[in-house]
Amino acid sequence: MADVASQLGVPAQICLIAELRWRVLRNHLRRKNSTLDLIGLIWAAICAGSLVVGLSLAFGWGAYTAVSTERFSWFFPFFWGIFLFWQAFSIFVAGFGASFEFRSLLRFPFSLSAFYVVGLAYGFADFSALASIFWLLALTVGVAIADPSLLPTMLVVVLLFTMLNVTFERLVGSWLERLLARRRTREFLFGIFIMLTVGVQFIRPLLTRYAGGAPSSLPRFLTYLSPFPPSLAGDAIAAAGGGQGGEVFASAGGLLVYIGILSALLWQRLAQQYRGEELSEAAAPSRTVVRPRIPVTRDLLQPFSPQVAAILRKEFRYLSRNGFVLVSLLMPPVLVLLFTSQFGGKHPSVTHHGVSPDMLFPGMMGYVILMLMTPAYNCFAYEGRGIQTYFTAPVRFRDVLLGKNLIHAGVLAFEVILSMSVLALRIGLPSMPVLIATIAAVIFAVAGQFAIANWVSLSFPRKLEFGSMRGQRSSGVSIWVAFGIQIFLAGVCSLILLMGRWTSSPWLPAEAFLGLAAASVAGYFAALDALSGVAEKKKEVLIETLCR
Amino acid sequence: MADAAIVTEKLTRRFGPLTAVDGIDLQVAAGQFLGFLGPNGAGKSTTIKMLTGLLAPTSGRVQLLGLDFSSNTLEVKRQIGVVPEGMGLFERLTGSEYLNFVGRMYGLDAATTRRRSEELLEFMQLADRPKSVISDYSHGMQKKLALAAAVIHGPRILFLDEPFEGVDALAAGALKALLARMTERGVTIFLTSHVLEIVERLCSHVAIIAKGRLVAQGSLEELRAGVAGELGRQTTLEEIFLSIVGQDDLGRPQMEELSWLM
Repeated sequence: MADVASQLGVPAQICLIAELRWRVLRNHLRRKNSTLDLIGLIWAAICAGSLVVGLSLAFGWGAYTAVSTERFSWFFPFFWGIFLFWQAFSIFVAGFGASFEFRSLLRFPFSLSAFYVVGLAYGFADFSALASIFWLLALTVGVAIADPSLLPTMLVVVLLFTMLNVTFERLVGSWLERLLARRRTREFLFGIFIMLTVGVQFIRPLLTRYAGGAPSSLPRFLTYLSPFPPSLAGDAIAAAGGGQGGEVFASAGGLLVYIGILSALLWQRLAQQYRGEELSEAAAPSRTVVRPRIPVTRDLLQPFSPQVAAILRKEFRYLSRNGFVLVSLLMPPVLVLLFTSQFGGKHPSVTHHGVSPDMLFPGMMGYVILMLMTPAYNCFAYEGRGIQTYFTAPVRFRDVLLGKNLIHAGVLAFEVILSMSVLALRIGLPSMPVLIATIAAVIFAVAGQFAIANWVSLSFPRKLEFGSMRGQRSSGVSIWVAFGIQIFLAGVCSLILLMGRWTSSPWLPAEAFLGLAAASVAGYFAALDALSGVAEKKKEVLIETLCR
Repeated sequence: MADAAIVTEKLTRRFGPLTAVDGIDLQVAAGQFLGFLGPNGAGKSTTIKMLTGLLAPTSGRVQLLGLDFSSNTLEVKRQIGVVPEGMGLFERLTGSEYLNFVGRMYGLDAATTRRRSEELLEFMQLADRPKSVISDYSHGMQKKLALAAAVIHGPRILFLDEPFEGVDALAAGALKALLARMTERGVTIFLTSHVLEIVERLCSHVAIIAKGRLVAQGSLEELRAGVAGELGRQTTLEEIFLSIVGQDDLGRPQMEELSWLM
């Protein structure tokens, strides 16, 4: 019989998992098909690092000032800010590292207690946790410099607050994992998230209109928050600063109670996982259904070649089954509604005088295009292994790209018309020269971007999970190229519009954009054949990346 | 070979310093059912990818049905069917939608595509889940669908990369019958499989690749003639395979070295 290895200690297991995560990240970076992609990632990491360090300095200075000037109430927003960032960021934004499923560790010989401890330790490896701990340490340093006698209290509070946050984050994460196992739930939550994101934008106009009573009700609102952990942490520091030992113990005790409750709930949740909870979105086998023969009807896509028509149909089906994309299509008209309430109409909330439709319309169409064109830069994201079909079937890649671009252009046209309708209803349409110039500019920008976006999609593909929002990010190069092209196009369009204004020739921009649109469309079709050659050259990268 | 369906000349593919396929000269006659065998990492999938246009050769030539692949890509692709490694399915379409998509991509008209899709779904016993998307299919169902998609346009050569992996015995029986019928009608089939019994039962010819080189090719009888078996008993394909490929594995650790596992 084979010998049995002795049980590994929990600290050793934690070290092993930390090493595993590091290796997963390192190998992920090594697989980049382009150094440019890696540069994009490094640049994003530098930006995030700068944000963390910058805010650490701000938190440290804030804590120092708060203690030095005895404004201990400042600690409430400090702790609330860190708490909200820690919890919200880990839910909605993917980390910098490659994804790694914690549950997959269950096949190893863990006891439930070891699984719990490892699970908790795992929570410290998130970007949000690391950044938040950095800021808490900055607060501690600020307090210690201002008044060293507060350091013991601060250390205890920071320790309790950290434990509470990591436990809460793991608990929420484990519940979300269960909820998000089903695609429909994911889409529903994503819809709520989008609506919340958009809803937040309406706060400013509402506050502007009803701001009168807000300051007086703020203290009353803050008292409602006092039983919650960030307020308790702030209370403890404020009480220590005021020499109220009893209050310090009461607040710290409150935090301990929270930690106890959350730990019990997390234990229960992880125990369910430990016992083999099944998370799957696969549908149960359905009963046998006798399919009626559907008569062949007239094909609406007859003007297109069979291949392009087939791709149009397939793309439409993919679009209609991707709840996230459908929900995100609601954004442009809603944002047009928002902008018209902020900048236009009879009661603009941001400016004193409403911006004229001639100014607002081109700007908003630019914004709509900016939002809707981004997916074109990674148009094979959802193909998965199906990408092989494009290379085994007798089809020219120009037809594949044409089919994909046509469906995208159709969605864009629908969204532009919808947004224009909202605009017309809210503040009216712009003058004819501006209307024609803007529509021609949209055609110029879209056709031009398609040609470049197709090349980027072929050269720097990134697989995205269908119906998932966590960990979904296009390649660094495609993000930066899209960003650069859109800035360039915005610059060109603005310059032409301003030229019309400077020369007092209202039709000049329209003429210029019509010329550019014609050139851009011609360039797009001319590029399609060349892109077929690029696809042939890049097929190995495409297949390897998307079939992974 | 005048009626050769598949011909390769010095077909080579390198990945950096690694030569995955090393100067293969392969000839498969029209109507042959060829089993392409080799140990893991021998170069089977790389070869089939080059034969189907999924991978460009580093050097060498591929000729299918008398046409040079690199200069007649679309014409060649019209006449071949492929079940690639990983099956190449669009997982968010239903089975019916996928077959209709593939049929149209191969240039079939709408009515023919629809009729063949329905017949293939019935034959493959996939017609009872019309609303399920492919990602909800079992692995075996996906294999059957991939095979249906590979034959919907009536190809003259069929390339199958591990087509029976994960397919249940009942379905495998039906698929074998389908493939046998296709070879009777003159279709050339190029199949890779790790299950030697399947290859032995289905294939008339066998080619064996090891470390990127073609080490044997011929009919089963020709290969049997080259390997001595026990008296009065026919040599099995497994014995042929091991006698040709197994000799290279002398450097492999012996079981005695795993005494701690015994």
